[in-house]
Amino acid sequence: MLSKKAARAFFLVGTAVCSLAFVGLTVDTFNRIPAQTHAAQITPAVARGKDLWDHSNCMGCHTLLGEGGYYAPELTRVYRRRGPDFIRAMLRNPEAMYPGQRRMQNYHFTEAQIDDLVAFLRWIDGMDLNGFPARPTLASASPEVTATASARPQVFNQICVACHAIGGSGGAVGPALDRVGDRLQPDYLDRWLRNPSAVKPGTAMPRLPLTDAQVSELVTFLSHQRSEVRP
Amino acid sequence: MKFESQRVSWWFFATCMLLFSLQIVYGFIMAFAHAGHDALHAVIPFHAARATHTNLLVMWLLCGFMGAAYYIIPEEADRELHSVPLAKLQLGALVATGVTAIIGFHFNWWEGRKFLEIPRPLDFLVVVDVLMFIFNIGMTVKNGRRFTTTSLVLFFGLLSAALLYLPGMIPTTNQTHDSYWRWWVVHLWVEGVWELIMGGILSYLLIKLTGIDREVIEKWLYVIVGFTFLSGILGTGHHYYFIGTPNYWKWVGGIFGAMEPIAFLGMAIYGVTMARKGGRAHPNRTALQWTVGCSIMSFVGAGFLGFAHTLPSVNLYTHGTLVTAMHGHMAFWGAYAMIVLAIMSFALPNLTGRRLHDAPSAQLGFWASNIGMIAMTLAFGVAGVTQVYLERRVGMDFLAVQRELEVHFIGLILAASLFTLGVCCFVWNFIRHGWPVGEVLAAGASDVTPEEAARTP
Repeated sequence: MLSKKAARAFFLVGTAVCSLAFVGLTVDTFNRIPAQTHAAQITPAVARGKDLWDHSNCMGCHTLLGEGGYYAPELTRVYRRRGPDFIRAMLRNPEAMYPGQRRMQNYHFTEAQIDDLVAFLRWIDGMDLNGFPARPTLASASPEVTATASARPQVFNQICVACHAIGGSGGAVGPALDRVGDRLQPDYLDRWLRNPSAVKPGTAMPRLPLTDAQVSELVTFLSHQRSEVRP
Repeated sequence: MKFESQRVSWWFFATCMLLFSLQIVYGFIMAFAHAGHDALHAVIPFHAARATHTNLLVMWLLCGFMGAAYYIIPEEADRELHSVPLAKLQLGALVATGVTAIIGFHFNWWEGRKFLEIPRPLDFLVVVDVLMFIFNIGMTVKNGRRFTTTSLVLFFGLLSAALLYLPGMIPTTNQTHDSYWRWWVVHLWVEGVWELIMGGILSYLLIKLTGIDREVIEKWLYVIVGFTFLSGILGTGHHYYFIGTPNYWKWVGGIFGAMEPIAFLGMAIYGVTMARKGGRAHPNRTALQWTVGCSIMSFVGAGFLGFAHTLPSVNLYTHGTLVTAMHGHMAFWGAYAMIVLAIMSFALPNLTGRRLHDAPSAQLGFWASNIGMIAMTLAFGVAGVTQVYLERRVGMDFLAVQRELEVHFIGLILAASLFTLGVCCFVWNFIRHGWPVGEVLAAGASDVTPEEAARTP
């Protein structure tokens, strides 16, 4: 039968071996992290952005690298998913962007601070994370749908889909935009996108930071969403 | 109670009751927000509620461990505590630091690193405070009339917990470094040295409650904590799959993380076997219930449910979802909250001299809180798995998925109400026991009165 002395030896030797292995792996990991995270790209703006990220406790609701509060969206790849313009608009006035939805606090960031946060999220977006986040394997990945998505304006795929769905994917905040061209004329869409509350006072749709080129691109795209003409 | 100075532990336990009650209030705020009712958003936004909820948990568990040490160590070392005034000062300072931190959270003063939200200046106060505690306990052990394995395991667990707080204070600019060190604190606490503390308390309780020979109990304690470190140290790797660290952590974390349940299974077998073999049936049956319950619930919550999402192929989809909340709630409850409530149930009648341990309210407290927690875990589990499927597999939008999950949070609130009923009963029983004015027993006397010994089979 096992003696107490043998049990103690098992504990001490096991702990010592594992601790040494762990310290060794830690040293090796720290040698590899700079390359894997593109640490050379950590500019002063990125560092300030991380500081803001920490001191606003963003992780208390959002997740980053999958770590955080599970209450608000995962932001690891938000830079490529939504783009800098959407992030800026969101940080300027969080409640305007997702009307009637789960609310985010307004931190009243300055424009310089918003730039720092965007720089931070952009750096995070470039990290090699061993395959995280995974592609949704059961999403409608038929060649037809993928081709349709790539034919849409980039601004539509980044900003509009945050609230509106098309072809069954996207947000559920505003109405779906399938066949919107049947209902709305190009000149109405143009006025609407430039200033929604001027067209319909009290609307929940926010005024988005769109350039003239983006507006005309969106108007063309949306007015082609008709029942007979499939893009 | 054998020594006058053990009384000081009552104040730590009373603090636990206060902080635990407040923790539950903040839990409800978060559950209502998840269910779509964030009426307090302007005053207590979700991240403030979350930081408060988790930091209160850490604080009351630490308070409970300290109280347990102040109760157990004098008896194990067979001498009075080194300094009672130092213990009181240390408790006062801990509470002051904690309350400052929690008020600060409501005014956007924090560090924003999950579980370690306490702002840096207060971190130093925590370190000083814990050093005072370690000094007090260490001097008691050092000058003790006997050295027991139980007291050494408990002491070194507490000392390592104090030391492992330090990596969390290393300044970083790279988010990956930040996360790497953060897990040194969080993981190596809960899946490492806290298990030592838990094992030490469990071993003390089993010796007291079952009457089984100390040598046997302590031998198996070594085996269990041996397995804890064998799996837990390298098991830290299961937090390093997707944070910008090398791919080999998937192997290291996967293999050693998968072994972590062994230590908890050991605790469960240990608790149940010793309780069944025990020749002496101690009159404090409620304490035995909490002790055995702790060993079983820790295996289910920390061991089994942890294993459920520790493998890298699963974790790729569950990482950063409510599945973690499912595991987290039952793990902390089973392993750490229950061990603190177990030592409290055991110590209270001795500290206060009132033997109300088997009152119906104590029984209701045990069953309602445990059934409530199991139901809460189920609610989190259903929400988590649904989230993984809809968001991570089907690719639905985050907010759209969250709306689908609201109904499960109504379920969570119902389950949590039952849990809260149980905790209220426990607190009520604590209050009924009154002040710590129990008599100090003469050397060699048993804490079981002759009448009680005659009553128990």
